[in-house]
Amino acid sequence: MMSPVERTDAQVVRDVLSGDRDAYRFLVRRYGSVLQGHALRMTDNPDDAADLVQRAFVKGFKKLASCRDPDRVGPWLFRILANFCKDHVRSPRRSDVSVTMLSGALRGGSDPSSDAEGAEIRTRVWGALDALTPEQKEAFVLKHVEGRTYEEIAAVMDMSVAALKMRVHRAREALKGLLEEYA
Amino acid sequence: MTNEIHRHLDGELPAEALAEEDRETVDEWDRMVASFRQSAPHGSAPTWLEQRVMAEVELLPERGVLNRLFAWLVSPAPVRVSPLAAALVAAGVVFVLMLPGPGTAVPEPGASTSSAVEVVYVQFLLNAPAASSVAVAGDFTEWQPSFTLEDLDGDGVWSGRVPVRPGVHGYMFLVDETEWTTDPNAGRYQDDGFGNQNAVLAVGTSS
Repeated sequence: MMSPVERTDAQVVRDVLSGDRDAYRFLVRRYGSVLQGHALRMTDNPDDAADLVQRAFVKGFKKLASCRDPDRVGPWLFRILANFCKDHVRSPRRSDVSVTMLSGALRGGSDPSSDAEGAEIRTRVWGALDALTPEQKEAFVLKHVEGRTYEEIAAVMDMSVAALKMRVHRAREALKGLLEEYA
Repeated sequence: MTNEIHRHLDGELPAEALAEEDRETVDEWDRMVASFRQSAPHGSAPTWLEQRVMAEVELLPERGVLNRLFAWLVSPAPVRVSPLAAALVAAGVVFVLMLPGPGTAVPEPGASTSSAVEVVYVQFLLNAPAASSVAVAGDFTEWQPSFTLEDLDGDGVWSGRVPVRPGVHGYMFLVDETEWTTDPNAGRYQDDGFGNQNAVLAVGTSS
């Protein structure tokens, strides 16, 4: 019997679709941390992030037969999670985070290494992201925080590089606008 | 932000090509991005994730026979064919193709004998701000989501022009490659036999 590490994604997908549902755990192990990391950066809340990742994996299992390219089931799962994250960001919450908290952090000058100031900056900059649309926030996080290339993001999100660039540009403009407004 | 700044941040333009004012903006931007990166939350999947996902998966009903048959049909699998068998099959196909047909189709009065197929380009629209991708599939694509709609301006409205032959067609949108969505703005709908409603599109000829 093939060990988990020897099974390709396509083999795991085929096994699961053939009735070996336990094989699905290999995908959870393989992609759990990548998905968790992105969900954390989108939600800034470990519990919410883990909940979204769990829901994404369960939905992925239910819809596995519609994954057109089993070799790329990882990006396919990522896309499911990304949509959950955007819905979560879109839902009304954390209204106590005001965009006016932006100014100090965006001007720079504070030392993030200091615990207190670091925590304050963290609240400011991540609160700032909530002023963006979910799509802009996602594009900004993937491009500038996770440091992915346009080609990589476009492939994962199944959109053209041109459309993605436009979204990232708008996210930058929005953050820049906030910076100027509250500086 | 100027277009030059965006091009620089996209790695398409060196910093030396920027105006002094733009360089200051870029410096400011770099500080901001550094703040984001320094404070970005990191973490691996919680240890209970696998257990909880699998527990939930185990509670799901068994896939139906039809679903498993469909999965088997669409899953690629290696097929072994000996050269001799392949040659025999090919020869058989050629033989059948060379046989005279039972009769020649006679065009009905008024029907065009031209081999050119008239195609009408239909504009499809779907408002789906949360979507990452939208494709259209219908009997004109043999229900393959082969035409992808685009949202170039990021306003959440996905659109695209799709060539469709004249006639009455059922269609659906496939959102994020997983969600089959009925067009809420279709003029007509029909039951798809599986409990969902297909949108119906009537395409007339131009003549």
